[in-house]
Amino acid sequence: MTDLLHAKRPVYPLFGFAAALIVFACGLAAAKHFETIWYLCGVWAWFLLFGYYRSCLALLPAAAALCALFAGVTYAASQSVEEVWTAVRRCLAVCLAVLPGISLPAVKFTRALSRLKVPRAVTLGMMIVLSFAPLLGREIKRIREAMRTRGAGSLLSPKVLYRALLVPFAARLVNISDTLALSVETRGFCTGKVPYTVYHPVKAGVRDVIFLLGLVAGSVTLMVFCFI
Amino acid sequence: MTAVELKNVRFAYKEGLTVLDGVDFFAEYGKITLLSGMSGEGKSTLLSLIAGIIPNMVEGELHGEVTVAGASVKEMKTAQICRRVGCVLQNAELQIVFDVTEDEVAFGCENLAMPEPVMERRVAAACAMMELDPRSKTRTLSGGQKQRLITAATLAMGQKIIVLDEPLANLDKEGTHTLMTALGKLAARGYCVIISEHRLDMVMAYADEVWNIARGKVTRVCDRRAYFAAQAEAIVNTCPAPEQSAPLLSLRGVEKSFGKRLVLKGIDLDVFAGERLLILGQNGCGKTTLMRVLARLEKADRGEIRQFIDKKAGRRAGKRWFAQVGVVYQNPNYQLFMPTVRREIEFGAQSREYAREIIEMFDLRELENRHPQSLSEGQKRRVSIAAVVASRPKLLLLDEPTVGQDLAGLQRLTSVLTEIHRRDNNTMITVTHDMRPAQALCDRAVFMEAGKIERTGGREDVKKYFEAFAPPEER
Repeated sequence: MTDLLHAKRPVYPLFGFAAALIVFACGLAAAKHFETIWYLCGVWAWFLLFGYYRSCLALLPAAAALCALFAGVTYAASQSVEEVWTAVRRCLAVCLAVLPGISLPAVKFTRALSRLKVPRAVTLGMMIVLSFAPLLGREIKRIREAMRTRGAGSLLSPKVLYRALLVPFAARLVNISDTLALSVETRGFCTGKVPYTVYHPVKAGVRDVIFLLGLVAGSVTLMVFCFI
Repeated sequence: MTAVELKNVRFAYKEGLTVLDGVDFFAEYGKITLLSGMSGEGKSTLLSLIAGIIPNMVEGELHGEVTVAGASVKEMKTAQICRRVGCVLQNAELQIVFDVTEDEVAFGCENLAMPEPVMERRVAAACAMMELDPRSKTRTLSGGQKQRLITAATLAMGQKIIVLDEPLANLDKEGTHTLMTALGKLAARGYCVIISEHRLDMVMAYADEVWNIARGKVTRVCDRRAYFAAQAEAIVNTCPAPEQSAPLLSLRGVEKSFGKRLVLKGIDLDVFAGERLLILGQNGCGKTTLMRVLARLEKADRGEIRQFIDKKAGRRAGKRWFAQVGVVYQNPNYQLFMPTVRREIEFGAQSREYAREIIEMFDLRELENRHPQSLSEGQKRRVSIAAVVASRPKLLLLDEPTVGQDLAGLQRLTSVLTEIHRRDNNTMITVTHDMRPAQALCDRAVFMEAGKIERTGGREDVKKYFEAFAPPEER
C-alpha cells in the first residue's frame, strides 16, 4: 500500500471503515439492479468531493481491468449479458469499498483506535506489520542479490532456495525483530496498564458526520428504490 | 555531578562469554563522555547496562553495582530506566515504525504520557536540533537522516542522560558535525552524554572525557593525543608497486540516480589489471554506489562501462560474471548461508584443497564446524571474505572489509589479502573508512566527493587524507 494514494484530509477512520462496509453490503445486495450503477457513481463522486481524488483516479484503471476480467469470466460461464452487468457492478462495489482503506495513513487509524482504548500492543502491532512489509521486500531483494554474487542465483533448486534465501532471511528477520523490540522498549513502550497520550489525536468532526450521513442517505435511497 | 557509575561490574552473557570483568566507570552531567575500543570489546554491552537493556531484556550473569541518576538499575524495570536514560541504538533503519518524521519523534513522548502541547514543543525542538523536516516521509530519508531521526526521537523524550551506540555509522562529515554540535549543546545545558564510537577521527574533538575498553576492563584516557595516535597506527604496505598494465574496467561519463537524487555524476575511471585501487570519501559521496555499478549490481543511467575481464560475460550480471568478479558486502549476513564455515568456503572454491588452504590462511580452523550465522560480526566478516576469495576472482570488490576486526585481526586480514593479491595477481578495489589498513591495501587511491571523482593519488595522499581528520587539541 503506497502513501501516494493517501488523502490529505481523510474522514474520521472509523466512519471511513463504516462507509466501506455500507458500500460493500449495499453494492453487493443491489448488484442485480441496473440503478445500482448510479449509486456507485454517486459514491465515487462523494469520495472525490471529500478529497479522495488521488485514490479515486488511481482506482479507475484498476477497476476497469478487474471489471473486464470478471465480465469475461462471467460471460464465458453464463453467456448472459445481464449477468455480466451484475458482475461489473459487484466489482465496482468492491473497488469502492477498498477506497477509504487505501486512502488512510495507518497512523490515523491506529490513533483513532487508541482513543477508543484499544490495547496499545494491538495498535503498535498493526503499525509494525504495516511498516514491516516494505522492509521485508528490501531484505529479500538484498539477499537475492547476495545469492547471485556467490553463484547461488537459481531458485529452482529447493536446496539453494532453502540455504541461500531462507536461512539468511530467517537470520535477518530475527535480527530486525530483536532490534525493533529493543528500540520500542527503550523508547518507553510497555504493554501493561500504564498511562499514555496520543500525538495529534484523531476526532470526528462535522465534515465527517456530513460524509457519513450523505453516504447513508444514498444507500437507504438505493435500498428503498430496489427492494420496496 | 556523577550521572552514571559502575563499580566493579562483571557481566557474562548466558552463553558464558564474559565481556566485562571488574569494570569501574563513571560519567558526569554537563559532559560528553566517549567510550572507545575495538569492536567486540564490550562497548555496546556497557551501554546496554546503563540503559537497562541488561539485565531486563538480555539475560546474563551480572555482578557489581550500576547506578543511574542515583538509583541502582537492578531495582528498576526498563520502563522506569527509560524515563531517566535515553538510548540511541545501532541500525536506525530497522527501528523506524511510522511513515512521517514527527510521528516517529513523538512516539517516545506518547509513551511517557506527555500532554499534547508539550509533545508539540518537544517534537519541533528535536527536529530542529537534528535538522529534520517534521513532515518528511521516513522512507525517503537517507541513511544519515534516519540516524538523526532516531536520535531526535530519543532527545524529544527529554531524559538528562543520553547514551548513543555508534551514532555516526551512517553520517558524513556534515551530519556528524550537526549531531555532535547538538550533543555539545545538550552537555552545555547539563545533560550527561555517553557515546560509543570507533571513528575517533570524527568524534574525539567533541569529547570531554575519553575512556578505553579492552579485554573486559575500562580505563580513563589521560593523554588523548597519544591515545589517538596509537589507535590510528597504520599497517605498513608490504606489496611492491604493480607493473604498468591494460585497463580491466573503463568507465566514461557514468551517472546514476536514485529518484531525483543524482548519486554518481559523470564518473571517468580506468581500473588497471593487477592494481589495488582504494576508494575514499565521506559517507553519501557515492562510493558504495560506484562499487555496485562496477559489480553490475546497479545499472548506470548514463555513460559507458567497458570490461576486459571476460569477453564471454557480455553485459549480463550472470553466473559467469560473478565467477570472475568477487563481491564482499558491507554486511556479511546476506552472503552466508551454508551450515558450516568449512562448507561455506568450499561452496565457491575451485577445490577442497584450496578451500582448506584458505581456511588456514584466514585462521578459521577453530571455527570451521560452526554455523556461520552463529559467529560474531567480526568473524562473519572474515568468513565472508574467505568464501569470496576462495573462488579466486580476477576482480575482488571489498566494501568496508575491516569492520569488526581488532588490531591483530586487521593485520592478519590485510596480510592475507595482500598475499592472495600477490599470488593470484588479482585486481582489488576497496572502499574503507578505516585509516589503519588503508595504505596497506592501496596502490592507487580515488578520492570522491558529492558523486564525483575529485582526484586520484598514491599512498602518501591517503596518509594526508586521514591526517586531515586528526582532532584539534580541545573543543
